[in-house]
Amino acid sequence: MAVLVAEGLEKTFRSRGKTTRAVAGVHLRVERGEVLAFLGPNGAGKTTTIKMIAGLIRPDAGSVRVAGRDPHRDPWALRQLGAVLEGNRNVYWRLTPLENLEYFGVLKGLTAASARRRGKALLDRFELTHKQNALTQQLSRGMQQKLAIAVSLIHEPALLLLDEPTLGLDVEAAETVKQLIRELAGEGQAIVLTTHQLDVAQQLSHRVAIIREGRIVAEDRTATLLARFSGDQYEIEVEGELGEARRARLAELGAQPLNGRIVYVGSPEGLWAVLEALRPLPILRVEKDRADLTEVFLKLVREEAHA
Amino acid sequence: MLRVIGVEFKRSLLMLRRYPMEMVGQLIVITMIFYGLFLGAQYIAGPTAQFGDRLDALVVGYVLWTLALFAIGDLSWGLMNEAREGTLEQVFLSPFGPGRVYMARNVAGLLLTLGLNLSILGLIMLLTGVRLDFSWAALAPLATVLLGAYGLGFLLGALALYFKRIQAFLNLFQFVLMFLIMTPFEQLHGLFRAAGYLLPMTTGAGQLRALMARGEAFDPVVFGLGLANGLLYLVVGLWVFGLAVRAVKRRGLLGGY
Repeated sequence: MAVLVAEGLEKTFRSRGKTTRAVAGVHLRVERGEVLAFLGPNGAGKTTTIKMIAGLIRPDAGSVRVAGRDPHRDPWALRQLGAVLEGNRNVYWRLTPLENLEYFGVLKGLTAASARRRGKALLDRFELTHKQNALTQQLSRGMQQKLAIAVSLIHEPALLLLDEPTLGLDVEAAETVKQLIRELAGEGQAIVLTTHQLDVAQQLSHRVAIIREGRIVAEDRTATLLARFSGDQYEIEVEGELGEARRARLAELGAQPLNGRIVYVGSPEGLWAVLEALRPLPILRVEKDRADLTEVFLKLVREEAHA
Repeated sequence: MLRVIGVEFKRSLLMLRRYPMEMVGQLIVITMIFYGLFLGAQYIAGPTAQFGDRLDALVVGYVLWTLALFAIGDLSWGLMNEAREGTLEQVFLSPFGPGRVYMARNVAGLLLTLGLNLSILGLIMLLTGVRLDFSWAALAPLATVLLGAYGLGFLLGALALYFKRIQAFLNLFQFVLMFLIMTPFEQLHGLFRAAGYLLPMTTGAGQLRALMARGEAFDPVVFGLGLANGLLYLVVGLWVFGLAVRAVKRRGLLGGY
């Protein structure tokens, strides 16, 4: 059973006579152990969708099921959901990390003793034990973010919503958070991740959904999406001189020496013929042109804008 | 639910222990304001003036007013601060729901609020020489006042949730509250007396004055009216707060400030 099923979500905001259609028919599905990168430009409807999933914004139409329960009708569906929301502190700065974990654990339905026990385990895992009695406001930004993630996990939810979890973190803290996300997914945690840092999304996600003007414009497995947008171009680097005869043969096959590399655009079968033509020169590198998520994102968003 | 009250109580205690000067400052300022008023009244009335049970009534009213201020204001100021600081949405992610969480916060904060107000009362009695008639029966009308105060607290909390910035209104509301708590409706006649039974907290405040300042006997009928009044305002407050929660979720206003 999917941990998250959101179907046909719609939301229009009206303010001072102005109507804004924020989300228009969004479907999302996340399985156990899966990281879904939910991407889109500013104002595309990401945060509204995330908040509709979390029960913080009521959709005009559509439904949300978290572990089979609707957070808009059944408050205990929230027991299966943890969230770190962007632009929020998410935790009390005047409390220590352990006090935050205990407080929010009880608010999520745990006993004080089990919240404290689990809180200590999470602090240990997130390498915050040495700061468990320091005031949260005295922690570094990275530590505060790790604490916010720990608090969102205190009640062992089935679904974790992470809205820009690496925003504003230094390189080391961002790497730690990314590693944690990887580990959590490896343990079966379902995660919806929104981020503007597309390299982070590419590294962490199993699937990608791209939203633009409230509509999903692409949704697929990350690898499939990248392959779909990657060209059929290969680059080959060899050691030694090619020689006239080999250059002529390569030209016949459609391969072209360029700045010390050989560029070939064609099928994988044709690539073998090119490699055969290069024999016995030592091959230093063969690389297929691969699109990264930034290119995919920009293409999709621009295509849609021009459509 | 008891667990939530327990953890809210612990949270309030931690805040108090960590920032004790906030409470000590409130204690001193509130006491000094009353003492200033007392000295001013004494100056106007002359050195030989005797205030008698009117001063006692004023002390009861003033301490009750500060108690109601805390009981009513805590929720609204708390909501505004949480919206600004970015913890409000995490509280709303609790399966207990915001109504129950904030009710638990009120109950947990009650002991601290009572402690603060008893200290204010003690200091004022020390400074003015007033001696009040304390009886355990006074706890009953006090409870009705608190029910009404929390009802008003939820009504203002609804406004804070929806509009986010209601500081100016809350500041002005202190004077409305002073009118409600300090006016001796129980000693007025006709329509004014009837209005006293309908306005929030006035019946309980009047009974407290009767018991503690004028030394009158406990009247169960007046208590019944005060209880009905307090419960009505609490139910209405919770209902309006629930409507505000639904409205902010519908309009996407929860996290904004």
